[in-house]
Amino acid sequence: MEVEREVVFPASPEEVWEALTEPERLEEWFANDVELDPREGGEGTFRWDDGEERHATVREAVPPHRIVLDWDDEGTTAIELEEVEDGTRVHVVETAPGFATALELHAMAAWTPVA
Amino acid sequence: MDARRVDAVFDALGDPSRRTLVREIAARGDATATELAAGLPVTRQAVAKQLVALADAGLLRATRSGRETRYAVTPEPLGDAVGWMVEVGARWDDRLAKLGRSLRGRASR
Repeated sequence: MEVEREVVFPASPEEVWEALTEPERLEEWFANDVELDPREGGEGTFRWDDGEERHATVREAVPPHRIVLDWDDEGTTAIELEEVEDGTRVHVVETAPGFATALELHAMAAWTPVA
Repeated sequence: MDARRVDAVFDALGDPSRRTLVREIAARGDATATELAAGLPVTRQAVAKQLVALADAGLLRATRSGRETRYAVTPEPLGDAVGWMVEVGARWDDRLAKLGRSLRGRASR
């Protein structure tokens, strides 16, 4: 399961892509201090003023269409861009943390008889 | 919040037939696999397997009743899962509002 959001911004996919991938632009909306190599296999470090720090690996990067980040601590964030009449549709999907672990637990649970 | 438990809840509810079972049990108060299968186009065995997965995710509480197991809905894990969705959703609403301001700021420059 996941959380999804969809918004249309009055900007081109290229402009939105810059805001999603350039560290100084990410610092305007995502985190306070950003280091990111927005290529497949690239690493990202995101810091917030409250002391929170998260680390991610770029699983997919297809400019200016799709970027997927795997978070070291929990879950995945996938952002897709689509050019529409009014600008660019941004579709965000955040997947529940440690989903694969849950699937494994369930595979085991299928073998556990009801107590 | 226990992330692993939230995952188990999401996984369990990701299947439409499991959601139907949770709704049915919630509507009846409690039910057995046999009772639930009677109203569905599936076998008792298939229902029983889904009930075990739901109970494992903590969504159902199982009680032994003679040869059958009765299941009732436990609302607490739903609270955790819904809480995760609300929290993460609110964070994205905030981020996307800021992203919109950032893009508009550029456009007017």
